[in-house]
Amino acid sequence: MKEVFAMWRHTQLVVLVALSAAIYAAVLIPFKGFPIVPGYIELRPANAFPIVFGLLFGPAGVWGSAIGNTIGDFVGGTLTVGSVGGFVGNFFLALLPYKMWSVFFRRDENIETNVDSGKKFGVYILVTILASTVCAVIIAWWVDLLGLFPFRVFFALILFNNAIMAGVLGPVLLLALYPRVKRWGLLWTEIMEPEEVSSSRLQRSGAILVWVGGIGGAAVGLILSLTGAATMGVGVGIVLIPFMIAILVGAFMLGGREQVEAAQEMLEGEGSEA
Amino acid sequence: MDPSLYLDRDTWVHRLDPRTKMFLLLGMFALPFVFLNPLYVLGVLALVLYFGYLAESLVNLRRIWFILFMIIVVTPILWSIVGSGRTPLFLFVEREALLYGLSTAQRIVITVIAGMIFLSTTRNEEVAIGLVRLGIPYRFAFAVSTALRLVPTIVATGLTIGQAQRSRGLDLESGNIIQRIRKHLPLLVPVFVTTVRSTNVFSMALESKGFGARPGRTFYLHTAMGRRDALVLIAFVVLLAGCIALRVAGYGGLEGFTR
Amino acid sequence: MEPAVSFEGLAYRYRGQQKPALKGVDVEVAEGEFVVVMGPSGAGKSTLCVSLNGLIPHFFKGKMEGEVRVRGRSTREGKVGEFAQEVGLVFQDFEAQLFSTNVALEVAFGPENFAVEREEMVRRVESVLGQVRLEGFENRTPATLSGGQKQRLAIASVLAIEPRILCLDEPTTDLDPIGKLGIFEIAEDLKDRDDVTLIVVEHETEETLDADRIIVLREGEIVADRPAREVLRDVELLQESSVMPLQVTRYFHERGLWQGQLPLTPEEGVAEFKRRGWRVSPERHQKLVEADAKRKEGYGDSVIEVEGLTYRYPNGVVALEGVDLTVRRGEFLAVLGQNGSGKTTLVKHFNGLLKPTEGTVRVGGEETTKQGLRRLGQTVGYVFQNPDHQIFSDTVFDEVAFGPKIRGMEEDETKEQVEEALAAVSLQGRGDEDPFGLTKGERQRVAVASVLAVRPEVLILDEPTTGLDYAEQRSMMDLVKSLNEAGSTIIAVTHTMWVVAEYAHRAVVVRDGRVALQGTVREIFAEEDELRDASLRSPHIVSFGNALGYPVLSVEEMLKVTEEG
Repeated sequence: MKEVFAMWRHTQLVVLVALSAAIYAAVLIPFKGFPIVPGYIELRPANAFPIVFGLLFGPAGVWGSAIGNTIGDFVGGTLTVGSVGGFVGNFFLALLPYKMWSVFFRRDENIETNVDSGKKFGVYILVTILASTVCAVIIAWWVDLLGLFPFRVFFALILFNNAIMAGVLGPVLLLALYPRVKRWGLLWTEIMEPEEVSSSRLQRSGAILVWVGGIGGAAVGLILSLTGAATMGVGVGIVLIPFMIAILVGAFMLGGREQVEAAQEMLEGEGSEA
Repeated sequence: MDPSLYLDRDTWVHRLDPRTKMFLLLGMFALPFVFLNPLYVLGVLALVLYFGYLAESLVNLRRIWFILFMIIVVTPILWSIVGSGRTPLFLFVEREALLYGLSTAQRIVITVIAGMIFLSTTRNEEVAIGLVRLGIPYRFAFAVSTALRLVPTIVATGLTIGQAQRSRGLDLESGNIIQRIRKHLPLLVPVFVTTVRSTNVFSMALESKGFGARPGRTFYLHTAMGRRDALVLIAFVVLLAGCIALRVAGYGGLEGFTR
Repeated sequence: MEPAVSFEGLAYRYRGQQKPALKGVDVEVAEGEFVVVMGPSGAGKSTLCVSLNGLIPHFFKGKMEGEVRVRGRSTREGKVGEFAQEVGLVFQDFEAQLFSTNVALEVAFGPENFAVEREEMVRRVESVLGQVRLEGFENRTPATLSGGQKQRLAIASVLAIEPRILCLDEPTTDLDPIGKLGIFEIAEDLKDRDDVTLIVVEHETEETLDADRIIVLREGEIVADRPAREVLRDVELLQESSVMPLQVTRYFHERGLWQGQLPLTPEEGVAEFKRRGWRVSPERHQKLVEADAKRKEGYGDSVIEVEGLTYRYPNGVVALEGVDLTVRRGEFLAVLGQNGSGKTTLVKHFNGLLKPTEGTVRVGGEETTKQGLRRLGQTVGYVFQNPDHQIFSDTVFDEVAFGPKIRGMEEDETKEQVEEALAAVSLQGRGDEDPFGLTKGERQRVAVASVLAVRPEVLILDEPTTGLDYAEQRSMMDLVKSLNEAGSTIIAVTHTMWVVAEYAHRAVVVRDGRVALQGTVREIFAEEDELRDASLRSPHIVSFGNALGYPVLSVEEMLKVTEEG
């Protein structure tokens, strides 16, 4: 999680937080008018953005997605206590893809976060599913805890919305945007230094924890919610707490440093001269 | 057209310190949850509307009426279906579930209107300075306030791009869902590219004006908590305490409701 | 005395680029001087500017050689923030530099970063707003300001830091004539101050007359560094450097005068003309007028008819009122006016983007309200001002093919039309390239090609020459002219007056939502007073011709009608 805080030293990343938040909010707002569950879930093409922002801008995309979602709620008129869940949910939605990306690649492979190969596309789909699940679990848990909406309703709708948009629009956007962002020198891996990013020593364990927390939490939450085996929301909420902790701890254990190291190596390769 | 919600009026609400307004906003997230009975929640709603009247912000209701309408209609329906209660009304709908739906709808509406009043009476820079005074690092507050400032600009760019692409024949109305989603690419890519491209110029302009030059900075905006702020905050705390006391005493609840 | 700025063998190559942007620049600027930097696109002018305050080498990750010293201190040592107190830098893109919700806060941002005391800040804000002629604007929202006002605000926000050196990178690009005038006035005031060293990168030769020195940059090297008036008299140097020479100067140069004798302004020109006893041949001038009339007969039937057009925005503001206009096939019409006059609103009715509130607009004989955008787009192509607002494909080919494909055209036919369009804009063979890797001028041409690919009869161009250097502007307008000669009807919305004079046949001047003037370009340019009321200025050669009593539109025309002897 180191880079999530260290990023603030870099002016370009601060600006990217603002810009990604603004783009996310700006694209969310016109679509507030097509609600599935009014006040909470709308048909949102912008849902592809957090994953794309995370892969391109790393920690800047993470803060940008979280802030952008909240601003979208504010300005679109759907700000509620549930928005806190939205903040945290979108935070993880953008965080997990780029963090988990490292887990799937060895030292000698090209680790750039673009979907320009079969393997990369596969990894993209995998991390998208995980991130969408975790985001849905977090938000549905929070909203259920507050007694606003039942877990199963929210979980299904958010997961569906995120996964579809990220799956359909995400790869196309990423393919179009990655080379341009790279050309402008705005990839997070080229702006930050390796020491500022979490090391990947514990990333395998971290990844497992996050998967268990996310998928496990979803499964348990759905079962409890569907069978009505819990009383009011508090039941589902309390039972899921260990899963939430697993997600949080796992996220801290994930890395990302080798992505920055790889980018620096590529830069030096380009700039070397006699 | 300026899509920002801020209304440049001079009411006492506008003149409150931004921190006070933030506390009030947070408080409005808590207050409606004290009661479950729709009648009691209605009282809170009326209070909020009155506050909005004092702040001359109610005109902005016009811009979010559709959302509010949908919330008021759909939420009770949803809870009538999903929830269950003791007293059957018609079909599978029970009285308690319907009431719960009504009060939930109101609770959501209250927080929405509170947020709207906040935005209508607080400039972006005030949000930033409020956050800073609350201890949040300046750079974070700057990012938040800049994002708020940029949203209308990006929406305007999006509209221009929409015009340009429609002039070339782009038609967003036809096709099935998947096709329509993909048709948004000629809109999304230029919006993204134009905006992100300005990052470097923006960053250069910031640094050229000394952004990050010194650890400490001063503020042009003058904010200080005054007597009025203290009074407002105290009044709110008293209100909240009173409501909690009422609820504990047994009023404002909703018996027989389960999910 | 120590120079304010000195470049010692500065060379710089941006990361990822093959060619260096600067190849060894040695220049000194003394305190209080006013220096103008000119040159073609890509010469390295902006690179020079960002080297002044340490952005190079600290912000950009490239390779730097040599030194840049600001009052003796090397920019290699110290962060950008430290140099920002000495060197104020205003960038070309004013939109990307403004981010506050009101003017006062925007101006105060700089001093805030330097921990200036609040009272002092308030004083500076007021003083600086006065300097840029925005007094009283403290509480305005930047979004509601005009382009010229925004640029002045950007300058104010830098002046508030009270730097001793001020560098403006192309401050008047994208501004209408009134906006440009505002900037020039500020530059005048600043130049008179001894405590400010002013460095301006500029294309507009007409406004560089007051500079102390002009530095001409080409391909990263300095090709000239001489007093302003000397450089302005070196017509060939300017032309080789893609800078538009002053028209009157060029006229006299072509007439054979020696460099030192060349006049620079219309007034000087008229005096010199009379002193030499030259004359304009009335017969030759009459031939020009007749050629105009003959061309008018060659037009086809009307393709766009506007009657009593009134347009009201949803919020009630009236943008256009009672406009009548006819556009005939084969014409080249210029729509003039300052920003906010309604000129863009007018042309947006021609392709159906806007529908009249009152009155009718007919395209091809049928009302636009009865034709959909897609059908109208087939007849009337609209090229937007900023190509980046359209481009989204991975390759040039795909970008240009978008229009035909959307209309369901077959693959072979699409390919043919795309290649035709690319050839028309001189981009043939570049279909596989990434549009974002092209220069701005090339991207503009891609935008034109993508509209041409559906073979519309009428082409509307919104500010086609913005952001291009002189050579690129000529190239673009020659392209448009060739399209017109091949049969396309052209409508150009612009405020670049020499372009209107040399290329357009007819012009309509829009002012406050109404048509203020309409007629052939020659007729319109004869009415200098009316133009001034509409905040437009004639090109120098036009004023020159008018002063002599014979309206001309270009240096070539003037040369043609001058009698020997």
